[in-house]
Amino acid sequence: MITRRDFLKTAAIGGTGLAAMGLVGCSSSDSSSSTTESTSSESSSTESTSSESSSSEETTTSASTNPITDYVDYQTTANEMEEFVIHHSQQAKDLQVLVNMISSLVASDSNGNLVSSIAETWEANDDATVWTFHLRDDVTWVDVNGNEMAQLTAWDFVAGLEWVLNAAKNGAANVSMPEEMLEGAEEYYNLTAEMDTTEAAALAWNNDTFLDTVGITVEDDYTLVYTMKASKPYFDTVCTYACMFPIAPDLVSSMTAEEYLAIGNTTMWYCGPYIMTEYIQGNEKILEANSSWFGLDTNTTFNSVTIKMVDSADVAWTLYQAGEIDRCTLSESILATITEGTEYYDYLCESRPAKYSYQFYFNYHRHDDDGNPDDNWNKAAANEAFRLSWYYGLDLINYYKRTNAVNPLKCENNFFTMKGLVSTSDGKDYTDLVAEGLDLKDYDGENMRRLNPELAEQYKEEAIEELTAQGVTFPVEINYFIPAGNQTSLDSANVLADCFSASLGDDYVTLNIGTYVSSMNQEVRNLKRGGMYGSGWGADYGDPVNFLSQYVVESDNAYYSEYYTLINDFYGEDAAEPYNQELIDTFSEFSEMVWEADAISDDLDARYQGFAEAEIFMLKHGLTIPSYYDITWQLTKSNDYSKANSLYGIYGNYYYVNWETNTDGYTTADYAEFEAAAN
Amino acid sequence: MAKYTLKRVAQGLITVLIVATIVFLLMRMLPTDYYFSEEQLMKLTEEQKNDQLRAAGLLDPIIVQLARFYRNILTLNFGTSRRIQSGVSVVKLIGTKFAVSMRLGAISLCISVVVGVLLGILQTVQKDHLGDHIVTAYTIFVNAVPHLVSYSLVLVFGALVLGFPATYSSRNNTALSCVLPVTCLCLTSIAGYALWTRRYMVDELNKDYIRLAKVKGLSNSQIMTRHVLRNAFVPLAQYLPQSFLLTISGSLLVERFFSVPGMGPLLTDAISRYDLDVVQTLVILYASLGVLGVFLGDVLMMLIDPRITLTGKGDTR
Repeated sequence: MITRRDFLKTAAIGGTGLAAMGLVGCSSSDSSSSTTESTSSESSSTESTSSESSSSEETTTSASTNPITDYVDYQTTANEMEEFVIHHSQQAKDLQVLVNMISSLVASDSNGNLVSSIAETWEANDDATVWTFHLRDDVTWVDVNGNEMAQLTAWDFVAGLEWVLNAAKNGAANVSMPEEMLEGAEEYYNLTAEMDTTEAAALAWNNDTFLDTVGITVEDDYTLVYTMKASKPYFDTVCTYACMFPIAPDLVSSMTAEEYLAIGNTTMWYCGPYIMTEYIQGNEKILEANSSWFGLDTNTTFNSVTIKMVDSADVAWTLYQAGEIDRCTLSESILATITEGTEYYDYLCESRPAKYSYQFYFNYHRHDDDGNPDDNWNKAAANEAFRLSWYYGLDLINYYKRTNAVNPLKCENNFFTMKGLVSTSDGKDYTDLVAEGLDLKDYDGENMRRLNPELAEQYKEEAIEELTAQGVTFPVEINYFIPAGNQTSLDSANVLADCFSASLGDDYVTLNIGTYVSSMNQEVRNLKRGGMYGSGWGADYGDPVNFLSQYVVESDNAYYSEYYTLINDFYGEDAAEPYNQELIDTFSEFSEMVWEADAISDDLDARYQGFAEAEIFMLKHGLTIPSYYDITWQLTKSNDYSKANSLYGIYGNYYYVNWETNTDGYTTADYAEFEAAAN
Repeated sequence: MAKYTLKRVAQGLITVLIVATIVFLLMRMLPTDYYFSEEQLMKLTEEQKNDQLRAAGLLDPIIVQLARFYRNILTLNFGTSRRIQSGVSVVKLIGTKFAVSMRLGAISLCISVVVGVLLGILQTVQKDHLGDHIVTAYTIFVNAVPHLVSYSLVLVFGALVLGFPATYSSRNNTALSCVLPVTCLCLTSIAGYALWTRRYMVDELNKDYIRLAKVKGLSNSQIMTRHVLRNAFVPLAQYLPQSFLLTISGSLLVERFFSVPGMGPLLTDAISRYDLDVVQTLVILYASLGVLGVFLGDVLMMLIDPRITLTGKGDTR
C-alpha cells in the first residue's frame, strides 16, 4: 500500500510549485458530476423515536480543545446558490444552504441515522401505508431580524405539500417522490396542470380539493398523518428531502406564487438553526444562529457561519494559508506541494466518503455525429463478454489517484448502491450482502478487489470472436465526453484512456475524448453521442430501490435507463435488434428482480436480500461498471465525522449543526482516530 | 452641435436596437432545453417542460415574442432573472452589482491613467535609456504572461506576504480588500497607457514644430508639457469616456478571481444559464454605454483640441 509519506516524497521530486499559484483547475470533488443530494442510513424500521436523536452528539472520539465559534467555509463560484424556495430548487448548491435555514420533520446524525427534528416521534402502521408524525409544539417561524412571525404546526406541512403538488406554483419541481408515493398526489398534480395557470396558482394552500384528494391529514395541530398509495417502509427517510419541508401558511398566503418564488434571504421566514443575514451573490453569505431555533437545547451551532465564494479550490488553498477560511479541499497538484517538513504536512486529513456511487455506464444505443446508429459500438456494448472483459480487466488505480493520490484504493467502488445506505437487522451493510454474491478478492492494499486478469483475457478473446463474426471492427472506439476548457477533466480523461490502454490493450478498445461546451444533456446525451458516461448517484431516500429503480427498463422514472443507457429505446414492437436480444432479456430479468424485491415490504431483511440479488445479477452481467467513491484530501479545522452523514435527503456535509472544530486545525493523526472510531 | 447630437443619438438608438434584436434572435435559436437546469432536465417529463416553456411564452411564434420584447423595452420592463437569482428583477440584480464594478473600475482607471501617462512621459524623456527599457520590459511582461498567472502571483504575494485580504469584502476592511483586485486591474492598463503615451509623444517629438520651439528657446520641460504631452494626449483622451463608462461592465477574470460581486461574470453566466432577460438587458446596457462612450470621446477630443470640429465640412468623423 502506498503511504502518504511515500506519495508525498515522490511527488516532491516533481516540484509542482506552480500549482500553488493557481495554474490548475478545480479539485475533483468540486468538479465531479453529481445528481441529487442524499445518502443512506440504517433506517427503515417502521418505528423510530426521539431517543435516537442523542446519538448525533456521541459520534466523535475527541472533544475540541479550541472550538471555533464563527466558522468560515467556502464554495466555488460555480456552486453559488440561485434561489431560496427549498421546495422549488433541485440543485444541491441551493439545498445544502437552505437546509440550515428551514428544518424538516426528521434529520440525520453523524452516523447516518434518522433523528428527531420537528417531529419528536413517528410511527407507521403494520403495512407501512400510514405514517404518523408527532410534532413539537415549540417551533416558530422568524424573519431575517429574528422576530417571531408564527407558530409552526402540522398545517405548515400541508402548505408545503400543496405548493409542491400544484403545477402552477412549483412547476413540477420535486414532485416525483410525493406523486409516486402519496395517495391522491398524482391526481392533484394532474388537476392543477390541466387547470388554467392563473386559476391553479390562485388556489389556497388549504383548498378543499387538495385536502380531500391528497393523503395528508392533520389530526390535530401537532399530529400529521401521511397515507401512502402502497406500502412504503422507508417513507420517514423521504421526509429529509426538500419536497417534504414546511411552508409558513401566513407567508405564502400573503403573496402571489410568482412573488413567493422570488423570495430572498430578507423576505423569507426561518425555522431552522440559522438565519441568513447577508447574501452577496458571488462574494459571501452569512448565516447567524437562530436564537429561536427549537433544537438549541440538544444541539450546538456556530454563532455565525460565513460562506465565501472563491474562484477555484486553488484560490481556496491560498485563503486557507492566509487564515481566511477554515478548510480547503486539496487538488492532486496542491497535495503534491505539501511535502514532509512543510508547515501543513502533518495536517493533511482524508475526507469522509462523499455520498455518491460513481459508475461507468454503457450507452447501448449510441449515434454518431451524423445522427446514425453506431453499430460497431452498439454491437460491442450489447455483448456480455465484451462488458465483462472491462469488469474484470479494467485497472483503475491510476484513475483513482486523480481523486486520492495517497490512498487510491480507498476510492475503489465495486457496487451500484452506495455503501452505508441501509443495513439489515443484524447490522450488516447492504453492500456486504452484494459482496457475498460477487467474486471479490480480499483487500490487499495493492490491487482492485474485482480484478481477474485471466478471466478478463478469456472474456476478451470470447468477445473478439463473437463480435468479429458480427462484423465489428477492432479496436472498438469508446466515445467519452468531458467539459471543454476544463483541464482537470481533461487530465482525468487522459489518465482513464491510459488505464484502458494498459488494461485492455489498444488493439481492443480506445478511448476517444470529446468535449461539450456548456451542457452534457443538450450537446451529448440528447443526441446519443456518448458511448460511455461517468456519473454518480446519491439517493433521495433510504432504500436500495432508489438506486436500482434508476436502472430498470420501461419506467419513465428510471433516470439511467432513460438518459444514459437508452435501453428503453429497444422496448416496443420491433424495436430490438438481433444483436441485442440477449441484452434486453438480461435487463428485463434484472428489472423483474428489482420489482419483486420492492414488493416485499413486511420484512426488511428479505427486501434488502432481494435487492442485493438483483444488484449481483446486474454486476455479474456487466450492465454497469462501478468506478469510484469520492474520497479526497483536505486541510480542515472541522471534524468530518461529527457532521451529519446523511446518505439520502438534503442533510449533508454543509449542515452546520453539532460540528466539532478546532482553531488549530486537525492533524492526520486526529483524523485517523476519528475514522477508526466511526468504523 | 445640437443637430450633430441628435443625429448621433438616433444612430445610437438604431445601433442598440439592432444589437439587441440580433442577440434576442440568437438566444431563441438555441434549443429550448437550455431553458432548464441539468437537474430539471433529469426530473421533468416532456409535458412538464412544455408547460413551463408555454408559461414563459417561449412556445409563441418568434414574431410574437419579438413584439413583446420591443414592447417591454419601451415600457422599461426588463423582466426577471430565472437562474442567476431566481425571481429577482433584472434591474435590481444589475443595480446591486454595477456600483461595485464601477467603483473598482474607476479607481483603477484613475490610477492607470495617471501612472501610465507618467511612465509614458518617463519613457519618452529617457528614450533608449534605462528608464525606457525598464518600463518596456514591464509592458512586455504583463502582456506576454497570461493574466491568470500574473493574478495568481499578485494573490499569493499580496495575501501571504503583504497580508492583504485575498478576497473582496463589502463588510470588513473594504478598502484593503480592494487593493489586490485594483492592482490586477491596473497591471495591464498601466502598461497600455504607458505604451501609447510614449508612442504618441515620440511621434510629436519628431515633428517640425518641436524643432521650431527648441530654436525659439523653450526649455525641454516647457516643450514636453505645453506641446508634446498635450498633443499626444488627444488620441488617448478619446477613449477615456468609453473606458470610464465601461467600468460598469467589470472584469470577468479579476472579479471571479477575487470574488468581487460585480458585473464581470454576469453576462457569460447569464448566457450559459439561458437567463434570457438578464442577457438581453445587459446587451442593451453595454451597447448603449459603448455608443455613449464613443460620442463623449469625440466631444472630449474636440474640447481638448480646438482644431478638431465635429460638424465641419463633410460632417466630421
